[in-house]
Amino acid sequence: MLWLAILLPDLPLQVFTRGLRDVPAIAITADKPGAPLIAASASAQAAGIRPGQHATSASALLPELRLHARMPRREAEALNEIASWAGRFTPRVSLSSPDAVLLEIASCLRLFGSAHDITTQVASGLAALGFHARIGLAPTPLAARWFARCGHPAGEDWLQAIDQLPLSVLEDEAACDADTRALLAGLGLHSLGEARDLPAAGLARRGAQAVRHCLARARGEMPDPRPWFEAADTFSHGLELPAPTHHSEALLFAARRLLASLEGWLQARHAAIDHCQLILEHAHRPHSRLELVLGQPCRDTAGLLAILREQLARLVLEADVGALRLIADRPLAAIARTGVLFDDVGTLREQAVLLLDRLRARLGQSSVHLLASQPDHRPESAWRQGDASCAGSPAQHTCSAHANPLAREHKGLHVRPLWLLPEPKPIERADYVLLSEAERIECGWWDDHPVHRDYYLANNTGQALCWIFQALDPPGRWFLHGYFA
Amino acid sequence: MAASLRHAPSAAPLAALLDALPAGSVWQASRIADHADTCHPSGFAALDRELPGGGWPAGALIELLLDQPGVGELSLLLPLLGGAPAERWITLVSPPLLPYAPALADAGVALSRLLLVRPPQARDAVWAARQAAASGSCAAVLAWLHMPDNTALRRLQLAAEAGATPLFLFRPLAAARQSSPAALRLCLTPAAGQLRVDILKRRGPPLARPLLLPIR
Repeated sequence: MLWLAILLPDLPLQVFTRGLRDVPAIAITADKPGAPLIAASASAQAAGIRPGQHATSASALLPELRLHARMPRREAEALNEIASWAGRFTPRVSLSSPDAVLLEIASCLRLFGSAHDITTQVASGLAALGFHARIGLAPTPLAARWFARCGHPAGEDWLQAIDQLPLSVLEDEAACDADTRALLAGLGLHSLGEARDLPAAGLARRGAQAVRHCLARARGEMPDPRPWFEAADTFSHGLELPAPTHHSEALLFAARRLLASLEGWLQARHAAIDHCQLILEHAHRPHSRLELVLGQPCRDTAGLLAILREQLARLVLEADVGALRLIADRPLAAIARTGVLFDDVGTLREQAVLLLDRLRARLGQSSVHLLASQPDHRPESAWRQGDASCAGSPAQHTCSAHANPLAREHKGLHVRPLWLLPEPKPIERADYVLLSEAERIECGWWDDHPVHRDYYLANNTGQALCWIFQALDPPGRWFLHGYFA
Repeated sequence: MAASLRHAPSAAPLAALLDALPAGSVWQASRIADHADTCHPSGFAALDRELPGGGWPAGALIELLLDQPGVGELSLLLPLLGGAPAERWITLVSPPLLPYAPALADAGVALSRLLLVRPPQARDAVWAARQAAASGSCAAVLAWLHMPDNTALRRLQLAAEAGATPLFLFRPLAAARQSSPAALRLCLTPAAGQLRVDILKRRGPPLARPLLLPIR
């Protein structure tokens, strides 16, 4: 077994600063009133603010300091989000509350190359999610967690490295209670190695066997079973903005964090999505919703990001946004695709779908259409607008002239113009020179739009070839209906 | 292994077998990408002789100047549109009239590849034409824009270059007096059942005499 621990220092602070490019002076207070600060951002610390200070004295030091009460619910959610995202590396993920996620990576070393490669990928992935994390590697989960917290003393055997760790690591996961730690400190001990040398009987008599159990688990001498984390079936994760904003660039930056997390979740589940929802939460108003719709199921979120950029650019916000939430509730099975040696049809199809998505995202569904022909003798009914929303890619559609029996029958018999006027336009007969015999179209008596017309090819004064008709119903007026462009 | 070789399927069942597999699960060596040609033949020999490279330039803005619809502007492009590869769109941005589906289908244009974009605003039309041209997923982009300024034209030219896509821009004849970054500018006028093409600008020596193309 090989465990990789992801430890999030200052998680109470990180859940607030995650969506920000530049972190302002922020400090987090414990959730009960009058409590001291528990975390402060780097710019706040530069001004002399330290965890443990009282909120009022911190505000006196730095008047523009933003104070937030700790939100344990959001911390738990962030941990959950990281665990679901980590499913892309290994199916064996375990939560280690309150601030770490443990990954068992022995089984996937071959896939990723080496433990070092996984560590690099985990670190860069976490940076994309917007988290600052420390990573530790060890054969047991507890040791991995300790190494993440204190760093692995370099160049030594991992068992010796454990011996050198300070006693403060015993706080983690409530391994030992405060009395036991006070007892060890009272004995003048500093490292775990010294605690391990203490006689077992003496420790047992003082009610401090927990130390030995804990060390045995960390050294792999006692089993340390962990419950495996199971990612939820739907993706719904949020992100708090410390200061409400309406700038689309800032919102996009924050949303990118959530999209990175969505990508990990989709990869872990071998799933893809074709739509998701971004909810922009306002403080005192109903939330704004953005529907992100893709042309085909997709696992990579680059396309979603492009669509989101267009939608945010034209969205008019009623109020500043305090938090974001991304919801994807209907994952679909992803279609496997082989890698290709050369640029091939699949990539082209993807590009084609991406173009359709972008156009629809900015211009709206009603501005982008496909055309189709319909079997009808009436010129204005012989075509229809196809719905582009059902179009996957250009090649997936099969409707063509061959599917239309009338079109095939008429091919070569009657010519049809390439341009059709939306409505027939009344004309003066004298302006046109007829060039052909009449083609009579008498049709549609079964519905409300019967036509009785004689169609002619004609030249107009500008020498353009036109398609004109005379209505056979009295008074027999002439109309222009199209151009042979 | 030897047994399976002896009973190896002949070519036709093998092709059927490959077709039956889920899309994308097998890469076939015969499917080598055709490298982007620098020119697409226009389908009119007389025109191809005069166009630099022997056809429509692949990554360039091409201006077609005409005063009224119906001179033969679509027929001029039909050979190109009909030969468009199956994975690419043919995008029409803000056409002035309805492209008539039955006639296009008769002329060999696959309607399923035709993407009709009608943006509500003129600004969006330039954007849509740029996106379509730059995406590289269109065989051709046909755009009718309302008085594009020089900046817009330059952007369109860059987008066409980026996507290696021919971008046809339809403008009134009056625009011939203005300068334009387009690589190719053609004046289209009807001439007794033929299409008269004057090449205003091309990458090469100017052409003094007009071309007459039989389009009907």
